[in-house]
Amino acid sequence: LSEPVENAPTRSTGHGFGRVLVAVYGLFALSATGRSVVQITTKFHEAPLAYLLSAFAAVVYIVATVSLARGDAKSRRVATIAISIELVGVLTVGAVSEIFGHDFPQATVWTGFGSGYGFVPLVLPFVGLWWLRYTR
Amino acid sequence: VTGPYAIAIILVAVVLAAWALVLVVINRPPSGAIVVGAAVLELLLVGLLVGGVVQMLRSHHEFARAEFVGYLVACVVIPVLGVGWAVGERSRAGTAVLAVAFLIMPVMIIRVQQVWAGPLV
Repeated sequence: LSEPVENAPTRSTGHGFGRVLVAVYGLFALSATGRSVVQITTKFHEAPLAYLLSAFAAVVYIVATVSLARGDAKSRRVATIAISIELVGVLTVGAVSEIFGHDFPQATVWTGFGSGYGFVPLVLPFVGLWWLRYTR
Repeated sequence: VTGPYAIAIILVAVVLAAWALVLVVINRPPSGAIVVGAAVLELLLVGLLVGGVVQMLRSHHEFARAEFVGYLVACVVIPVLGVGWAVGERSRAGTAVLAVAFLIMPVMIIRVQQVWAGPLV
C-alpha cells in the first residue's frame, strides 16, 4: 500500500510562490554561471580550486532551478538534493572564507555566506527546502 | 551610454518594478500594459548592449571587456526570460516574477558601470 503514495498528486513547486522562487534561483544560476565562466576562461591558474567550486555552485543552482520549475515527483527529489548541497555549500564556504579571510578572495557566490549578494545565497536554501516541504 | 542613458534605464526599471509590486499587492496577474512596459525596457537594454559594445571598441582603457559584454548580454536576456516565465502563471505570482526581473536591472546596470570603470580592487 506504500506505492500509491508515490503517485499521489503533489502541489507543483513551480507555481504560486514557487514561480517567484524559481525566478530567483534562475537569477543565481545565471550570475553564478557567468561568474565561473569568466573566472575559468580568464584567470583559472590563479585559484583553480576556488574557481572549480564556483563552477560547482553554478551547476547546483542550474539543477535547483530546473527541478523546481518542473516540479514532478522525480524533480522534487532532485531539487531536495540540490538545495541540500547548496545549503551545505554556503555554510561550509561561508565558514571557511570567514576563517581564512585573506587567502579566500571573493571567489564564489557562497564566499562570506553570500555577503556579495546581500546574503540571499544564505537564505535561499532554507526557503527552498521549506517550499519543498510546504508543497508536499 | 554607461552614463545618463544607463541612469535613464535604471529609472525606467525602478518605475516598472514599483508598478509590478503595486499589481502584486492588489492581486493582479501580469497585465498587457506591464508587458508592453517590459518591451520598452527591453528596447532600451538592446540599445545599451549595442551602444556599450561600440563604446568599448572605441575605447583603449583597461577594463574587463569579456565581463562587460557578459553583463550587457545578461541585461538583454533577463527581461525576456522574466516575461516568458511570468506569463505562464496567471496570478499575482506571475506579476511578482516581473517585479524580480525589474528589480534586478538597477543592480545589473550598476555592475555594467563598475566593470566599465575598471577593476574593483
